[in-house]
Amino acid sequence: MSHGSPMVASGDLAEAVRGIIAEVLMVSPADVQLDTSLVGLGAESIDFLDLIFRIEEVVGKKVPVSGWETFINKRLPGADLSRAITLAIVVEFAEQERSRR
Amino acid sequence: MTERVAITGIGVVTPIGIGIADFAAALRAGCSGARRITAFDCEGFDTQIAAEVDDKRFDAGSYVEPRKMVKHMSRSATFAVAAGALARRESRLRPGDVDPYRVAVSLGAGGMGPVDLDLLAAQGLAAIASSRGRDSDELDIPAFAREFRARTNPISMLRGLPNLAAAHLAIQQDARGPNNTITTACSAGTQAIGEGLRAIQRGDADVVLAGGTDAMINPVGVLGFSMLGTLSQRNDDPRHASRPFDAGRDGFVIGEGAAILVLEREAVAKARGATVLAELAGYGCTCDAYRITDERPDAEAAVRAIRLCLEDAGASATNIDYINAHGTGTQMNDVTETTAVKTAFNGCGVPPMSSTKSMIGHLLAAAGAVELAATVIGMMHNFLPPTINFEMPDPACDVDCVPNVARCARMGAALSNSFGFGGQNACLMVRRW
Repeated sequence: MSHGSPMVASGDLAEAVRGIIAEVLMVSPADVQLDTSLVGLGAESIDFLDLIFRIEEVVGKKVPVSGWETFINKRLPGADLSRAITLAIVVEFAEQERSRR
Repeated sequence: MTERVAITGIGVVTPIGIGIADFAAALRAGCSGARRITAFDCEGFDTQIAAEVDDKRFDAGSYVEPRKMVKHMSRSATFAVAAGALARRESRLRPGDVDPYRVAVSLGAGGMGPVDLDLLAAQGLAAIASSRGRDSDELDIPAFAREFRARTNPISMLRGLPNLAAAHLAIQQDARGPNNTITTACSAGTQAIGEGLRAIQRGDADVVLAGGTDAMINPVGVLGFSMLGTLSQRNDDPRHASRPFDAGRDGFVIGEGAAILVLEREAVAKARGATVLAELAGYGCTCDAYRITDERPDAEAAVRAIRLCLEDAGASATNIDYINAHGTGTQMNDVTETTAVKTAFNGCGVPPMSSTKSMIGHLLAAAGAVELAATVIGMMHNFLPPTINFEMPDPACDVDCVPNVARCARMGAALSNSFGFGGQNACLMVRRW
């Protein structure tokens, strides 16, 4: 279950998150584009718990599930989450968590 | 007269074959599925043998949609889901044939998913080790909680729930009717099928996916049964280790796998022109209410379960052509079971009674389901599956155990017995349709 060092360089973060999503949803990384809907790939709520747990390894710190929920509510208010949660959104969240003090 | 219940599909994942064609061939040939354990390093274990499902031939993901669902399944859940898919295919029951709310699941399953139990135990131990104070043996619970949270992926908790195998089976098969899990250890599979029969009889469902699944070949499972003194230690000769009714028996060989049967209300099966494999004709169950791991020496409660089953089917002992024994190969079970059938069949003679555990090992919560599958397959193909490894008769087990070689015979009706730790006794009867 190793997803690379916590000290992922900025440009590599998107690639690392793409790899994690591919592992979590057991699809090929090529199937996960920046605008691909995760729910469209089969993700359900439990998969987001898995995703957040694995993102901790990439960002090198504890990532609370409540932080994800807050992020989504602020970032995507009123959106259809079955379409709106994409790789790009998860990368944004990971960047936020990495820079959080 | 009550409407009959048809068996219209069978799916199996066993140590000697996946799918009924392979399984039937292996039963007829008298194959053993036992070997040295490959699932983990068993060096130093008292028992180092088991009947494993060969992972080179079992690809769980090929039975599951979407594939990522496999990640949420314990090993036993993957067996159940695969057996369910195979059974459904066999039954040719299509999505539009029946209202999904009339399709139930009745599954015998173990308690916690054992692979996940290992995982949790390892993580728990690591957490304990790193949280224990240097000068104290006391466990620091807040520190433990912190460590455990940091190390444990939340999804591993969900994988371990005992009802999840039945839930996954329902998700894969769109079975929206009653969904029950039975955890009566070694009689769970038999009881799950019996309770599935009842669900149709009382009108709760038209189709039931019924059976059992288990996967206990892991360090905790093997040590646990070994410490209870129930496992064979014939480590140098795995294929001959499971020897029910033989004087040289020294315990069971732990196995793993699943069987799911498609049970169907007669009218529904007829309306869609289904091919019926056999009638599920009767079910009886009792409990010894005696001791945890000892059986009543007079087998009174087991006898009652057999008689209730015959009565339920409107049959008599003279109708029975074959019994698939619980036949674990422990000293006690085989003697008590012999006593039980001799009492239940008093006056008309005990029909041939073999133990397919000699070939596939003891599949625990799946045992009764896989054994009923073996019985129906024998009925369909006109043979009695053998008890292999029978070399030296035990006077206390003087039954015709169909020694070593399958026997050509036409079965009109047959029984399958299961007896669990805790004293649960269950018996099913199948009849030619």
